[in-house]
Amino acid sequence: MADKALSFSLADFFFNDSPDVLTPPSDFQSWIEHPKIQSAMGLFGQQLLAAPRADTEVLSSFDGKRRKVINMTSYNYLGLSTHPEVIQAAKEALDIYGLGASGAPLLSGTFDLHVKFARQLAEFKQKEDCLLFSSGLGGNVGAIQGLLRKGDMFVLDEKCHKSLIDGGTLSGAKMLFFSHNDPVSLEAMLEKCKGKRVLVAFEGVYSMDGDLVRLPEILKVCAHYKAATYIDEAHSTLMFGANGRGVGEHFGLEHDIGVSFGTFSKSFGGVGGFVCSNARIIAYLKGYSSPWNFSCAPSPPVVGGLMKALEVATRDSSLRDLLWKNVAYLKKGLQDLKLDLGKSESQVIPIIIGSSGEKLIQFAYEIQRRGLFLQPVDFPAVPADSRRFRISVSTQFTKEQMDTALNIIEDVIAKGLRA
Amino acid sequence: MTKEAVIEVIKKNIAANSDDIDAASIDPQKSMKDYGANSLDMIEVVSTSMRELKIKVPRSELTDINNIDELAVKFLEYVNKGNG
Repeated sequence: MADKALSFSLADFFFNDSPDVLTPPSDFQSWIEHPKIQSAMGLFGQQLLAAPRADTEVLSSFDGKRRKVINMTSYNYLGLSTHPEVIQAAKEALDIYGLGASGAPLLSGTFDLHVKFARQLAEFKQKEDCLLFSSGLGGNVGAIQGLLRKGDMFVLDEKCHKSLIDGGTLSGAKMLFFSHNDPVSLEAMLEKCKGKRVLVAFEGVYSMDGDLVRLPEILKVCAHYKAATYIDEAHSTLMFGANGRGVGEHFGLEHDIGVSFGTFSKSFGGVGGFVCSNARIIAYLKGYSSPWNFSCAPSPPVVGGLMKALEVATRDSSLRDLLWKNVAYLKKGLQDLKLDLGKSESQVIPIIIGSSGEKLIQFAYEIQRRGLFLQPVDFPAVPADSRRFRISVSTQFTKEQMDTALNIIEDVIAKGLRA
Repeated sequence: MTKEAVIEVIKKNIAANSDDIDAASIDPQKSMKDYGANSLDMIEVVSTSMRELKIKVPRSELTDINNIDELAVKFLEYVNKGNG
């Protein structure tokens, strides 16, 4: 394996043959200690030394230096994580309620601000009720695990997030994946589900590609088969639609979707997740969604900040307008460099560089040395022939920052791919 | 080892991973997807088959495989090399 360490990835060590559970697979150790893998792994989990603003500071793993960087990796799409009003609201909630909720929601963890925020979110998403989760991943896992049982069918777009898959695994339902955004493939899967309870899951914006769900076509097939529907709007809430309600609103079809899920860690700038649906199923989920009823309720200062974030993002369209202006500017600059941006239609813009893991890592280091924090996305997170960088556009980007980033991307990636 | 023997190992593991498929009915010219396997099932079948064949093929080399026969050809290449 030593001569081809970069051909292997975390996908190759999932099953552990070691007789001792507390020992990783025998070849995993030699792989992870290989200098090339050590070098590649060094890019991940680097420390940020300041808030995830457009300009931040990282502790670069490769030379141990503090480095001022333009940050194009954080999910702080609307800049709400560091918005002064949001920070002030979080501080006020901290003063009133303390740091933690100190209990599960059913016992002592439900505070008045949790109830108020859940009501605001349900109203915002135009659903009857809402459940708040301390974790975005936990929200998807908890909703799916609470809704489905053994004998049910769970049909997902093949590019759905791991949290949906984990929820499906935990539920015991049989999972079928349809080809990405392909209504014909969905139809073929739903044919196999006849006579069973079935839930179809898709995302508003797909996180690795930045493309949108083909909602009208997908919903038409679901309606034909009378399948229940679930949309994950993690990367679209507060950004898409005339009122920021998401891709459902963008297509004018939000009322045709059974469950609407969102996270607080992206555009909201905090952490957690929420699930909106009809009041009866939300009441049912409270009994059966383990990440909700067996986990401490969301931290009060985070909820206080999130409530303000919702208010700031929805009182007018200024943040959304600025985001789309930045997306248009950056995208045009990248297109002028003749880079492969896939089918991105959102603030998530991939730069697909192809199959070379070595180039990906080499570019990633060089970009950071030049002052741009733009993380690589490697196989198995994306297909082996389309390794990439993934830009998260933010309202906080200035024209100067985008021009500087484009220059770095041109010098390192565009020229590097031509070399 | 022959390609047919490798195919038998894969077919056995597909059947073992499914409630309603009989190994004898599996056509190697089809993909696991045709038999209702999702990506998680495929990882399970590929891993158990590689374990049985005592080989280790990087997943990155399996992305262009279209059917069971092609998977067997790739596995056989590693069996004949005496591992990966």
